[in-house]
Amino acid sequence: MATRTSRFNPYWLLVAPAVLLVLALYVAPIVNVLLLSVTDPKPGLGNYAKIFESDTVANLIWRTIRLCLITTVAAVTLGYVVSYAMLHALSGVRRRMMSILLISFWISVLVRSFAWLMLLGHNGLVNGALLSLGIISEPLPLMRNELGVLIGMTEYMIPYAILPLLANMQGIDPRVTSASRSLGASSAQTFFRVFLPLTKPGIIAASLLVFISSLGFYVTPAILGGGKVQMIAEYISVQLLVTVRWGVAAMLATLMIASVLALMYVLNRFMKLSVVFGGVAR
Amino acid sequence: MTLRSWSRAVTAKKRAQDPHETGRSARNNERGEGRSKMEEVTMKDKAFLNDLAREGAIAFKSGRLDRRSFLMLCGLAGVATLAVKAGDAEAAANEIVMWNWGGESEKCHGDAIGKPFTAATGLPLKFDTSGPLQGKIKEMVDSGKVTADVCDADGFDAIALGKSGHLEAIDYNIVNKAQIKEGSAWEFGVGVIYYGYAFMYDTKAFGDNPPKGWADFYDTAKFPGKRSLYKWANGSIESALVADGVPKDKVYPCDVPRAIAKIKTIKGDSLYWGSGSEAHDMIVNGEVAMGMIWQNRGKTIEERTNGRYKMVMNEAIAMPGAYIVPRGNPAGRDNVMKFIQQALQVDSQLMILDCLGMTPSNPEAFAKIPEAMQPYAINSAQNIDKVIFNDPVWWADNGGDAVNAFLEAIG
Repeated sequence: MATRTSRFNPYWLLVAPAVLLVLALYVAPIVNVLLLSVTDPKPGLGNYAKIFESDTVANLIWRTIRLCLITTVAAVTLGYVVSYAMLHALSGVRRRMMSILLISFWISVLVRSFAWLMLLGHNGLVNGALLSLGIISEPLPLMRNELGVLIGMTEYMIPYAILPLLANMQGIDPRVTSASRSLGASSAQTFFRVFLPLTKPGIIAASLLVFISSLGFYVTPAILGGGKVQMIAEYISVQLLVTVRWGVAAMLATLMIASVLALMYVLNRFMKLSVVFGGVAR
Repeated sequence: MTLRSWSRAVTAKKRAQDPHETGRSARNNERGEGRSKMEEVTMKDKAFLNDLAREGAIAFKSGRLDRRSFLMLCGLAGVATLAVKAGDAEAAANEIVMWNWGGESEKCHGDAIGKPFTAATGLPLKFDTSGPLQGKIKEMVDSGKVTADVCDADGFDAIALGKSGHLEAIDYNIVNKAQIKEGSAWEFGVGVIYYGYAFMYDTKAFGDNPPKGWADFYDTAKFPGKRSLYKWANGSIESALVADGVPKDKVYPCDVPRAIAKIKTIKGDSLYWGSGSEAHDMIVNGEVAMGMIWQNRGKTIEERTNGRYKMVMNEAIAMPGAYIVPRGNPAGRDNVMKFIQQALQVDSQLMILDCLGMTPSNPEAFAKIPEAMQPYAINSAQNIDKVIFNDPVWWADNGGDAVNAFLEAIG
């Protein structure tokens, strides 16, 4: 075994074109952009000092992390419920649930954000219904604030949570829970002491996927945030296009890439990433 | 013809008689003082290869060059293979590409400027409707692949990008300075139209005692309800200063901290919009009691709601909309200057007013603004003394800091 891995594996040649393509078309341009963070407007670490000097940048980073964490918790919790229901649904129903899930997965984030605009607005469906039922007397501020952004982000992220959770749950041998029940555990005990711990890899994978994807949210905060809920991606775009501070934009982009890689590294120490993303444990 | 023999012929022809080429590199040299020798050389190479590709495209179309040679040429010149439909590169020399914001403007600019321009010069007008933001123009020029001839941008873009060397200078031998409103004929851009930041209020709420200016807009005690402002600070900064008692003629240079302090007084009651449709929705959906609005959009709202929401033009911040030319534009400088000159003609100006609600810049057109448009036009007799004219030089120098300070304050 040891001699085999130390020698050059010819199968790499099959992968090489793809690797080269990624290096040339993806990594090289990104490195180019990231270099801007230490060269524009003048060489040095001036852009990075802004993290500590500028309240704007610090607030921005904190707000982005906070919103992403809340989104992650909400999306994974809701996604867990849906996955659990899908796992136990009849196969026909499950298939229909899956197609609905995938359809929503494919609808553009722009369309979904505008749909929320219709639903959550001042004269929207939700406020209209609550008003006509007499539950509220004034429309609730459901959007153009953080709440609106969180609703939009969570809804968008639920499919991202469900897919890894469902894959994980389907891999659990159903006889384990049956055994737990037959040995006298209540259904709650079976869930919390047997099923839930077994889904831990799925929960971590889903959380990681949702959190990382949430970091780059741009359209949803821009549309549902009423201009007051800026996240990193929108700020980067403003610095690129409007104020033309490419160095700051590149610095924030570098920071984002670095945090994502760091997150994956930390996670990799606890579990094999390939397993998280659907590979085979070895 | 094969590539080799064809390109030899072209190069020889170029050496013999191309005044345009020498003219352009001379201009490049003039502005290229800060550029290194190396960059200078590659830029020249790039320009040469681009020209070669363009000539090649013409030759290919007329059958003087075979397809494979043409594609090879494009590869050499670094023209993206995806864009190498023979038509594209060829057309570049024989048309004006206007980079604007899409929507109605495509039709309006086409009818008002494109039609008479094409009739006079034979050059068609085409559009890129992706919105020429400052960063995008900079990127396009820096990359050496300029695909637009004229951008529908802001006055401060003309100043800022002109200073950084990304624009062609305006040729005032072709563009007539007398047909431009005073203060809008800059070295690197022409204020072709005016638009403005006004505000609207709900007549159901304030019909008896309507707000009259920005001071009322910021007074949420006297006029309760939410407010909306523009998200990227233009107009918002000025409105706050006027509300805080700064006289109209002392707004520039803007005291940004003072403006921010004033904006913070309504922070809890305020929303911010980034697009005209968003501003529109906030007002007509009742999300705000008063909302800042682009004055042309305000006219639409007044009409569509039968006057339920009314616009206040007093103290509106008037913005010059500038036509600017990215350096090295494909159609050449002369052609695009003729295009800008066409845009300044009274008929074109009045058509744009009618179609887009953008006010003429040509003083000859002021008196011809139709009766019905006068209340909404920046430069009409009844408004011209009430509005505040934006200072693009201040914004070019301080806009970046102002936008960031504003974003921090509202976040």
